[in-house]
Amino acid sequence: MPASPERLTPDAAPPPGQGLAIAAEALYLLNLLLLPGLAFLALLWLYLHRRDDVPPLARGHLRQTLSASLWAGALLAFVSLALIVLGGYDTAWTWVVVILYFTTAHTTLVVLGTIGLARALAGQPYRFPLVGNLLP
Amino acid sequence: MQLLQYKSQAVAKPYFIAAIALFVGQILFGLILGLQYVVGDFLFPAIPFNIARMVHTNLLIVWLLFGFMGAAYYLVPEESETELHSPLLAYLMFWIFLIAGALTIVGYLMVPYASLAQMTGNETLETMGREFLEQPLPTKLGIVVVALAFLYNIGMTILKGRKTALSIILLTGLVGLAVLFLFAFYNPSNLVKDKYFWWWVVHLWVEGVWELIMAAILGFVLLKITGVDREVIEKWLYVIITLALVSGLIGTGHHYYWIGTPGYWQWWGGIFSALEPLPFFAMTVFCFNMVNRRRREHPNKAATLWALGTGVMAFLGAGVWGFLHTLAPINYYTHGTQITAAHGHLAFFGAYVMVVLTIISYAMPMLRGREVNPERAQVLEMWSFWLMTVSMVFITLFLTAAGILQVWLQRIIPSPQSFMAVQDQLHIFYWLRWLAGLVFSVGLAVYLYSFFAKDKPQTAEAGEAQPAAT
Repeated sequence: MPASPERLTPDAAPPPGQGLAIAAEALYLLNLLLLPGLAFLALLWLYLHRRDDVPPLARGHLRQTLSASLWAGALLAFVSLALIVLGGYDTAWTWVVVILYFTTAHTTLVVLGTIGLARALAGQPYRFPLVGNLLP
Repeated sequence: MQLLQYKSQAVAKPYFIAAIALFVGQILFGLILGLQYVVGDFLFPAIPFNIARMVHTNLLIVWLLFGFMGAAYYLVPEESETELHSPLLAYLMFWIFLIAGALTIVGYLMVPYASLAQMTGNETLETMGREFLEQPLPTKLGIVVVALAFLYNIGMTILKGRKTALSIILLTGLVGLAVLFLFAFYNPSNLVKDKYFWWWVVHLWVEGVWELIMAAILGFVLLKITGVDREVIEKWLYVIITLALVSGLIGTGHHYYWIGTPGYWQWWGGIFSALEPLPFFAMTVFCFNMVNRRRREHPNKAATLWALGTGVMAFLGAGVWGFLHTLAPINYYTHGTQITAAHGHLAFFGAYVMVVLTIISYAMPMLRGREVNPERAQVLEMWSFWLMTVSMVFITLFLTAAGILQVWLQRIIPSPQSFMAVQDQLHIFYWLRWLAGLVFSVGLAVYLYSFFAKDKPQTAEAGEAQPAAT
């Protein structure tokens, strides 16, 4: 007898803090894709002003996205810069490594943010692998 | 046990089988091509590079079309809540398309291309000799006949049954596919006009109407495996297809930078094609969001994995790797290099190969008389997913590395080197790409084997005594 799809509980009302969780993930992605720096400042402001008085769902997303954004800054800006300085601006292999590194790292961070946004839209918590644990 | 909601959905099965068989052929020629990059006279003169490349790309297009048609024959009766208008016509068109396709490939391999053009009446209406549209005139006419009969069949089915957003989006995409193919018959002697309208087939297929087909197939599978309300899925699809059309139509301009068209295309093409990752981004969020909000655990885990993989890989291949070289000032340097090849490989695999494999993964078990595949078959299928996906990522990375080096040596340094001199220096990446291709073909072999894998006896007995774990 083939297994049938098992019904789970139907959609409930949106959990508290979902709006802020979505905003945090959206700002994280905006920082990576469209408004680097500005979106980060907005995320930082949200984290500093709202982290103590928001539901756990929102707090988790705020904390995770801010931590991942700080990591993103280090991984994308500083590591790329270090590679250029160490490898030399005027050599082919520096650019092979830097462009491949930057594209791969940036894309990975965007995909993680996309999954985070999907989780926030579904009212669920999300932990960024590796880059979500910078903040206490 | 009757698992298909409508008997005529069974028409999809031969389409899916043919798609998979041609996929195998495509990969075989991919391996031959990969070796020819580094061993220049491999299989020469039996299979010259230009012929192998033509077979590789033409097989891809044909098997994806088989997959799209199979998907439409499977999902339209279910969406329309009625039997297919004419299963007989669908079977007839299947054989016509398969025989025409096979003869075309045999023609490419057995007859010199110029002789093939002469033999098939190309002088009557000159359509051959253009990349991806190399098919002889009779094949092109055959494609039109098959497409018209297919649209008639699908259209009549939708007309007589329930009209859903999914089936209308699918039909819109399929009509667009057929109409835009007509530009394959327009081959003006002015080279600028030729290239201008050639892109109306090539670009407006893969970055236009095919995205609608993809969204509809993905929406259908997610609807079935997650149990999320149809309204939610439809709203997502409206957003996705709007983004796809708004960005993709004028985004055609990113092909018009250097072909002799007016300079404003560099702005139009740049701005709109920079927006082209958006529909793929939305598709990724859509897939994950639907799976996160699922209202049931569907036992077909492999299909769920393919659906999620489609979202992510389409975004990477079509979105990110497309954006990488889409802006005119960057494209000035990267145009026609291995960076384009990297983008082409990941975009086709991530978007269209994976979406066809998604619907096959979902539908094929039912077409074979069971709701889902046995556990072991699913595990093997998921292994094949990871082998093919990871190796395709590596193919893309190696080609990207080759492309960056190529741009540098050929177009950046003060004394640029010739094309062939640069190719010699890219061998390491071509070898690595070939090895990744070999792993891909192992993944494909595992995929094929998964269709025949059965659970071991004790697992099967346990499965009978207890419902399958969900």
